[in-house]
Amino acid sequence: MINFEEELKKFHPSLEIEEAEDAIYNQDLTDIADLLVGLIKEDKDENREVKQ
Amino acid sequence: MICYNCGATLTHNDFCTNCGADVARYKKIVSTANLLYNMGLDKARVRDLSGAAETLRQCLKLDKANVDARNLLGLVYFEIGEYVLALNEWVISKNLRPTKNIADDYISLLQDNPAKLDTYSQAVKKYNQALSYCYQGSLDLAVIQLKKVLSLNPKYVQAHQLLALLYIHDEQWEDAKRELNRCQKIDVGNTITLRYLNETRNILDMDDDDNSYGGGGLDIKARKSGSSVIKSRDTGDSYTAPVIRKENRTVSTIINVAIGILIGVAVAYLLILPARISAAREGVDESLKAAGEQLDAKTAQINSLEQDVKTANSQIDKLKEELDMYTGESGRMSAVESLLGAVNSYLENPEDMKAVAEHLDQIDEDTLSEAGESFGTVYKLMMSKVGVDVGAEYYDSGMKSYQAEMYEDAIRDLTKAYSYDNSNGDALYNLGNAYRKSGDNVNAIDTYNKVIEEFPDTEMATRSQQYVNELNVD
Repeated sequence: MINFEEELKKFHPSLEIEEAEDAIYNQDLTDIADLLVGLIKEDKDENREVKQ
Repeated sequence: MICYNCGATLTHNDFCTNCGADVARYKKIVSTANLLYNMGLDKARVRDLSGAAETLRQCLKLDKANVDARNLLGLVYFEIGEYVLALNEWVISKNLRPTKNIADDYISLLQDNPAKLDTYSQAVKKYNQALSYCYQGSLDLAVIQLKKVLSLNPKYVQAHQLLALLYIHDEQWEDAKRELNRCQKIDVGNTITLRYLNETRNILDMDDDDNSYGGGGLDIKARKSGSSVIKSRDTGDSYTAPVIRKENRTVSTIINVAIGILIGVAVAYLLILPARISAAREGVDESLKAAGEQLDAKTAQINSLEQDVKTANSQIDKLKEELDMYTGESGRMSAVESLLGAVNSYLENPEDMKAVAEHLDQIDEDTLSEAGESFGTVYKLMMSKVGVDVGAEYYDSGMKSYQAEMYEDAIRDLTKAYSYDNSNGDALYNLGNAYRKSGDNVNAIDTYNKVIEEFPDTEMATRSQQYVNELNVD
């Protein structure tokens, strides 16, 4: 059976037009590619330090 | 595909031929993102929009720069009525690729139609309001609000689902099914829709079985035993069926009818009653206006009549005055009567000047000009016959009073003496003396001036002038 109260919790208010700008600015756009590039750069930096 | 380090185009090698950076893992990530984009596209093509959205979101988590995936995600959001989310994706897409980007067209499509955008905005606001009603427990208001939302934006899947949930909660299975079918036409793979639909269909199927008593594959032993669990003979699945559902439905129907009546009364109170009251007020206002106009007309009539009364009164006064002129003590009739009396006394005894004078004294000189030519002629005749003698008598009487220092009587008699005989300068001079001695300086000066004017170059005039000078000095 569907539990009304539980189901209702799954519904959230929709974004309104006035909130669109804030939503765009606050959106976290970090992707896996960013993380990978960051990791590669950290790895390179560590290697340089070891060599020195 | 371009190098993340230098931006050069990558080849089939696992390193960048330009800067030498290791791009093996990067290429795998981008390839996986492309794969997810393709999957999302496939799902979107068969209208599995929620599935497509999920896949495309995963794609963008791997590669945020996948503009095609972002644009498609925006389209999917647009299709399920989430216009703000769609706009977000397209704006980000345009920032990532400012030129030759179809997101530009999508954004323009929305921005160039402010009325439509406003409608979408209203729909979102009303949906949020409906959700708020749900949290507060005002489910009937929520249903009304959601119907408005769907009239503004029929593709709003979340609104359809919430409305279906409310119908399910209210055990309006057919309505719930209708809403869920509409959801499915927009988004075939939405798990929430499918779950609600499954529940609704089960209940409706059980309803059908209940109605046909044994038809179909459901075991209704439960009904006989009073249990709430119904078992399918074919699959062995158990369903929880509300045992007192019929009674509940009846009760809910009654409650719904009652709510409907209440809403009807509320609508009547809020919409019809004010209109009626307004109409009644207008009627009353009209009546008041008409009464006011009638009152104004009556007031004007009263004013006019009052004016007429005033005019009539003034005419009456005028006529009374005219009548007085004829019949009053100084009226013409009285003057004529006095003149006739004087003539009669003179004819009876010409020597009795006193009797004639009594009658002549009663004639006001002002009436002479108004009484007519004949009256004037007779009066002058009488005056020529008796005037000098009467004047002499009054002079003698006046001088006696003057010498006895009875100045009031002297003034009265000397005034008459001079009026009967204008040539009697002594009468006028002594009248001035009487005035002076009685203390009436103003009349004394006037009288002396008259003496100076009427009888110049006489001793009386000289003395009069001396007295005038003395009195002016005082």
